[in-house]
Amino acid sequence: MSDHSVAHGTFVIEKEFAHPVAKVFGAWADPKKKSKWFGDPNNPAQVFEFKPGGRESSSGTIPGGPTFNFDVTYQDIVPDNRILYSYDMHMDGKKISVSLASIEFTATPKGTKMKMTEYGLYLDGLDNMAQRKAGTISLIDALGGYLDKA
Amino acid sequence: MTTAETTRNVTHATFVIERVYPQSPARVFHAFADPKAKAKWFHGPADEWSEETREMDFRIGGRETSVGQLHRDATPHAFSALYQDIVPDRRIVFSYDMLIGDRRISVSLTTIELKPEGQGTRLLFTEQGAYLDGYDDAGSRERGTRELLDQLGRSLMD
Repeated sequence: MSDHSVAHGTFVIEKEFAHPVAKVFGAWADPKKKSKWFGDPNNPAQVFEFKPGGRESSSGTIPGGPTFNFDVTYQDIVPDNRILYSYDMHMDGKKISVSLASIEFTATPKGTKMKMTEYGLYLDGLDNMAQRKAGTISLIDALGGYLDKA
Repeated sequence: MTTAETTRNVTHATFVIERVYPQSPARVFHAFADPKAKAKWFHGPADEWSEETREMDFRIGGRETSVGQLHRDATPHAFSALYQDIVPDRRIVFSYDMLIGDRRISVSLTTIELKPEGQGTRLLFTEQGAYLDGYDDAGSRERGTRELLDQLGRSLMD
């Protein structure tokens, strides 16, 4: 039985890429590019509306494990500058978290600094911030790998 | 030079407010869930505020929009929310944007938790906010929210 608990957490991840801002931003903004590094490559987003108020929806199943649904609403977009979106995560149909992510892109001499600030609330003991932060660091590493090859 | 360059930045800030109301969780939840009950307390300062539109679709994935203006600046202030999670009598989660005119000043994630406390209710209000482009909140969102929760308390006595 659910205890209806809510655990709030905030984490920040900063990463510098040796690529120009337009390229890093484009890896988030273009569904084909994003599918190369974000989520299940065999199961790209079914909905991808990259504009304020637009939605993104995708799902993926861990082999032998649960199915996750990721549902986004884009809240604010400034090209080559920032992306704010809220999202829900469901695991096997149960809502495990609601989050608000801000991604800021800044040009540096080397390329681009990307700062991700994520507010989260983790519901009913089904997820936690440490796990989400670790998962997000893996994603950002995958983004870096994609950018180096693209 | 026809347009001023906007300085882009994002400032993050979180606040938490607790309130205890003598009414039951079901009664307090109703004040958030029912459009008529919510309209009694969710509005700008009565003598300085005129309301333009108000729409509310209280279900997960539903939206709420409330637009009004302060008499002194005659600029529309728009609250636009998306309900992300609702557990009757227990919790409400929504994200929302605030716009002044056509300028988005903030994006926030709000959690309202209701817990029985004696015959009454302990309300925990947590807001995780991103304030945009130098909009200087300086605590005004938290103060405004405290006023709203006071107005909510008074509306429960009707």
